[in-house]
Amino acid sequence: MTKTTQSRPQRWAQPFGSDMTDADVERLLNIPEIKAIDAEKFPLRIPLAGILRNDSRIMRYKSGDIVIREGDYGNSAFLILNGTLRIVLAPGLPGEMLGRKKIQKKNFWQVLKQLWAHKKSPEFRDVKQYNQKAGLRPSAEPGSTHVFLQDVPAILDSNRTADIHEGSLFGELAALGRTPRTSTVFAETDAELLEIRWQGLREFRKYDQGWRRLIDQRYRQNALKAHLGATSIFSHLDDNELQEIADNTLFETYGTFDWHHSYIKMQGHDRIEGVKDEPIITEEGAYPDGILMVRVGFARVSVERGNGRQTITYLGAGDFYGADELYRAWKGEMNVGLKVTITALGYVEILRVPTKTIEKHLFSYWDSGKRGGTRGGKPVQGSQRRMQDFFEQTLAEGALQEWAVQERFVNGTQAMLINLDRCVRCDDCVRACAATHEGNPSFVRHGKTFQNWMVANACMHCADPVCMIGCPTGAIHRSMSGGMVVINDYTCIGCETCAISCPYSNIRMVPIRDEDGEHILDQQNHQPIIKATKCDLCADQITGPACAFACPHDALKRVDFRDVTWGRDMEA
Amino acid sequence: MMKKLWGFLVIAVLFFTLIWVWTSKVENSLGYPEFISGGALFFIIFLLCLFNMRKRLPFLPIWSAHKWFLFHSVAGFLALSLFWLHAGVLWPKGLYVQILSLLFYGATLSGIVGLIMEKVYPNLLTRIGSEFIYERIPREIAEIRNKAENLVLECTEKTGSDTLAQHYLETLGWFFQRPRFFLNNIFGGQNSQTWVKEQCSILERFLNEAERRYLEQIFALAETKRKIDYHYSLQTMLKTWLLVHVPLAAAVMTMVVWHLIVIQVFFN
Repeated sequence: MTKTTQSRPQRWAQPFGSDMTDADVERLLNIPEIKAIDAEKFPLRIPLAGILRNDSRIMRYKSGDIVIREGDYGNSAFLILNGTLRIVLAPGLPGEMLGRKKIQKKNFWQVLKQLWAHKKSPEFRDVKQYNQKAGLRPSAEPGSTHVFLQDVPAILDSNRTADIHEGSLFGELAALGRTPRTSTVFAETDAELLEIRWQGLREFRKYDQGWRRLIDQRYRQNALKAHLGATSIFSHLDDNELQEIADNTLFETYGTFDWHHSYIKMQGHDRIEGVKDEPIITEEGAYPDGILMVRVGFARVSVERGNGRQTITYLGAGDFYGADELYRAWKGEMNVGLKVTITALGYVEILRVPTKTIEKHLFSYWDSGKRGGTRGGKPVQGSQRRMQDFFEQTLAEGALQEWAVQERFVNGTQAMLINLDRCVRCDDCVRACAATHEGNPSFVRHGKTFQNWMVANACMHCADPVCMIGCPTGAIHRSMSGGMVVINDYTCIGCETCAISCPYSNIRMVPIRDEDGEHILDQQNHQPIIKATKCDLCADQITGPACAFACPHDALKRVDFRDVTWGRDMEA
Repeated sequence: MMKKLWGFLVIAVLFFTLIWVWTSKVENSLGYPEFISGGALFFIIFLLCLFNMRKRLPFLPIWSAHKWFLFHSVAGFLALSLFWLHAGVLWPKGLYVQILSLLFYGATLSGIVGLIMEKVYPNLLTRIGSEFIYERIPREIAEIRNKAENLVLECTEKTGSDTLAQHYLETLGWFFQRPRFFLNNIFGGQNSQTWVKEQCSILERFLNEAERRYLEQIFALAETKRKIDYHYSLQTMLKTWLLVHVPLAAAVMTMVVWHLIVIQVFFN
């Protein structure tokens, strides 16, 4: 019998930029910011030159081109090689200028007009509108197409901006922290930038002290203090105390940034093996050495049951664990170990606040009689109560939760959950969706099922929207007004990055058509032009999501899995 | 949901009591109580018909479909009560009103049957353990049939025996052809399961080890086909009962309007 073989895939099998040459790498090695790096510190298997060649690319922008947009999710940082860029300060540029979709609720007349305004052909698009509204500067390579600003001097006059010059690094916090970009940056003059993907950035931070100091310092200054201040357990602290905690906090990352790729590959594989492969953040029985706070991503909380592990709940961004155990140990209880194992679901970023810091700033405060007020904050009390409830639940009671965690549905903030015991399969939801989207339903009433629950193939508007990573034009973005993930059809170039990235297959690529129902073709290669479509949560409808509004049996709900109380409450 | 349902039920009972008291008073004062009960009945039938209109306008912010459904269910029973109050008897005299009554009873009965199906069938469909999109069922069946036929051919080629093929042609082929056991399925019967098991066990003792492995695969396909059949039967009922209910309701509405015109003309 012949066996199929292939060479083992290597880390750099797919370089970030396809046209990086030896000369480019040589040139980069000589720029001051890279020259300052001690190449000897890098392991032989990940040499500095290799990172530059494979984890970075040189990008060229024309005056007015937007490099990063506020609100975008990106997986790369930028180092300016030459040229001047402008960072737009608060309040930022209007969404439409950035290639965003303007969402406006329809009025009653516009709502009614939908009854007869449907086009006969599916996925009809008015090409003239594209020419007027797209604002794209095309490029031979789809990934290099940019949205550009039409009138740079006017923008500089009417907005607060700051210039950034050659040698500046930006975008690194969002790239490493998987958080939305906080500002828009555009090219004031023609510029050349080195774009470094997160893997390369991670290596720079790991092996070069200078880069590590720079990145960590910026994070502590710009983001960490604000993040800590927003959590309930530290809300009583003043600026100086918060800064002290921020200075002592350790950063840890678990799992891979591109977890969605491995998740897609794992579909249909042994789930138990999948759980075993998850990176362990902390283990049951281990001595707690600080409070673990989830900054980004999701973590599975499990306990040993028989010969396996039972998932009892999960932690999302803003949740923390370990305070109770630390407090009991501080009060003198002996042999206090963690009651659960916490593992990374995909990519997780953890902040570990050391025990000493917690004892100084938290436990003394709790002991001063104000404990109730602080610990009564939603995350602590809520998660602790949940945790205790889940410890006592039977395997059968926890099965649904376990399934939702396993399938990563916990990522969804607006998942389409159908109670199959109520659903009469009438498809009124699909028809309502079509009626509100010019005859094109944007979901499929089919999906993974567990017991009487189905999570249909509709965009879940994820907390960690991996679909947004890598969109070259920012066409797929999180709406500033409603928080839903939407696609601007005018700036979508049909590159399929979002559809490939979506771990739940909830984004479809459709060929667009003209009024006669004929495919609209690319002028150059005469291939049909495709666009990404997905559920937009009926952002422009008065009724909210038409699917849920149209369900006669109340079987369909849009749910945030974090808010779902499993079991009977969901039946009500 | 129960809160809303109880709300509508209370309103319906109050409405009916109001009409009943009102008609009694008018009757005692030698008036025409039929005008009051008839008017109320027409109003409720009109509201019942609006549900279908509402379904076609899902984007209008006028109650969610679920609220409409609860209202429609309660109002249906209210209409039946008002009909009896209005007619005074279960089966009125006169051809026109008898046709009207027949249509009304037909619409009501189909509505009740539909309501029962909508409450019972989803649960039965869930318990089968697989989900099938109705429109894709013919394709699913064709795929299963092709797989089964390929297995039969392969079995004949590889084992040199046509026992499985003969049996397939005589019995199993019929099953794989199209959806079967429709009537039995809609009443929740298990005939298809028994039949498939029987047909496979009948054959088993005539097969050698290699042929049995093919039979096992065909049995697995038959099990999937059985589930698809079950979905087909129940989903067909869930989708088609409205094809009886809605035309009957439309006919009732038309005849009621004509009835009102005739009453007005003759009364004046």
